[in-house]
Amino acid sequence: MGDDVLICRCKEVTEQEIRQAIDEGAYSVAGIKRRTGAGMGLCQGRTCQRLIVNILSGLTGIPAQVIERDTARPPVRPVKTSILLSLGECVDAGSGKGE
Amino acid sequence: MRLNVDVAVIGGGVIGSAITYYLAKAGVKVVLLERRDICSGTSGACDQAVSMQTKNPGLVLEMALKSVQMYRHLSAELDYDLEFDQCGGMIPIENEQQLTIMKIFVEQQKNIGLDVSILDIGAARKIQPALGPKLVASTFSPMDGRVSPLRVAFGFAQAAARQGAIIKTRTEVRGIDIKAGRIRSVVTDQGIVNTNLAVDAGGVWAPRIGELAGISIPILPRRGQILVTEAVPGYIRGEIWSARYIVAKHHIEWVRQEDPVGAELGVGLSVSETAYGNLLIGGTREFAGYDTSTTPEALQAIVRHLLNIFPGCKDIHIIRTFAGLRPYTPDGMPILGPVEGIEGFVIAAGHEGDGVALAPVTGSMIAEYIAKGTLFPEISELGLQRFNQRAEMVASGSDEIG
Repeated sequence: MGDDVLICRCKEVTEQEIRQAIDEGAYSVAGIKRRTGAGMGLCQGRTCQRLIVNILSGLTGIPAQVIERDTARPPVRPVKTSILLSLGECVDAGSGKGE
Repeated sequence: MRLNVDVAVIGGGVIGSAITYYLAKAGVKVVLLERRDICSGTSGACDQAVSMQTKNPGLVLEMALKSVQMYRHLSAELDYDLEFDQCGGMIPIENEQQLTIMKIFVEQQKNIGLDVSILDIGAARKIQPALGPKLVASTFSPMDGRVSPLRVAFGFAQAAARQGAIIKTRTEVRGIDIKAGRIRSVVTDQGIVNTNLAVDAGGVWAPRIGELAGISIPILPRRGQILVTEAVPGYIRGEIWSARYIVAKHHIEWVRQEDPVGAELGVGLSVSETAYGNLLIGGTREFAGYDTSTTPEALQAIVRHLLNIFPGCKDIHIIRTFAGLRPYTPDGMPILGPVEGIEGFVIAAGHEGDGVALAPVTGSMIAEYIAKGTLFPEISELGLQRFNQRAEMVASGSDEIG
């Protein structure tokens, strides 16, 4: 792929920016996200996380299976605040990983 | 790894990165030791306010005022866009009781030198058209600002490296070697760092570093839950906190009457627009150990409070929720400076929700203290020993946890 290929379409983050973040020390999906904003958009990394894992794995040599994924958090898809309020007990809370 | 340095800074959040930068700038040989990644803990899971109005009138507000002056030129100094914007801020007031409290608070802040006033609701709406119909007034200060805490941590760390600091991520501190009351080295899982000075900038994990040196540090993790919205640029102008946020921060007992559930979770509203137009909506102050889960009841309590103040937000979409841990201290002020009895152990932690605002001033003060021995009043008054001298404050703080 070319360096200017968009990896995160929501935040328009290019492959080159992802590579630069890895050069700067990022070794996890969250590390890429905090340095570049990739995965912070409307889809919350649903599209780019797999691509980022592959780039990370290729450049760091860490096997893709063990690369730290971003913490999964609610909501699963964008939800209006008014709907969130009316959800009652059926909202499923995301679990943190002791960060 | 075997390093010989003058100072080992432990913790790669906004505070540790800032200290490392200012030390390197002063020509001190320094290593930053970070267990995971730069900005991977509290500094990567918080909001972005550089708030003046929420500060308790006193030392912390004085420090914040110095810090905001530093932020104005920091992007240029670090050659890194921190997304700082001194956008001003407001505290909408919901009722007469809150107004009474806020009048006192605002007067005290004015005496410290903060430019802040209370506007009637008509004047407030001219600045902030989205304010709801139930409000009675609002404060306004042009001094409040915002900054990306992610950019602050990375900006400081990268500039520190350019100044000659060694940055060691994925390096966990396992021991602190002390002989004859003086630090000799810091032991990590990657090797030994020979140094006579260690700075504990571990935030909510600072007590674990303290334990390695036999020091008890009264910091507790306090969870803050935050919601992120889709981009709605310009809908909310400047930084926002509710008067209940101020009351929850400084006098949580006053919230218990009107909203016992909200009070238990420490719910107070903060709203801040990121450089990309998303709103960060907080938050809670909960003692839940090191658990960073979000919970539906807290998220709903925050949203309920939001819609009371900004009813028009009902159609805005939430795209993400998250939680971070704030380093709570019993008196709400950070712990700064040397520790009696162990030469070479310096603490810079416990800023709770003020770390983003106070990072530059904390970094420069601690660095100047280490490099030149300058004993700022903040450092002499905010030392760990204050908790031994005033043990009763620790006791009253603990009551709040229950």
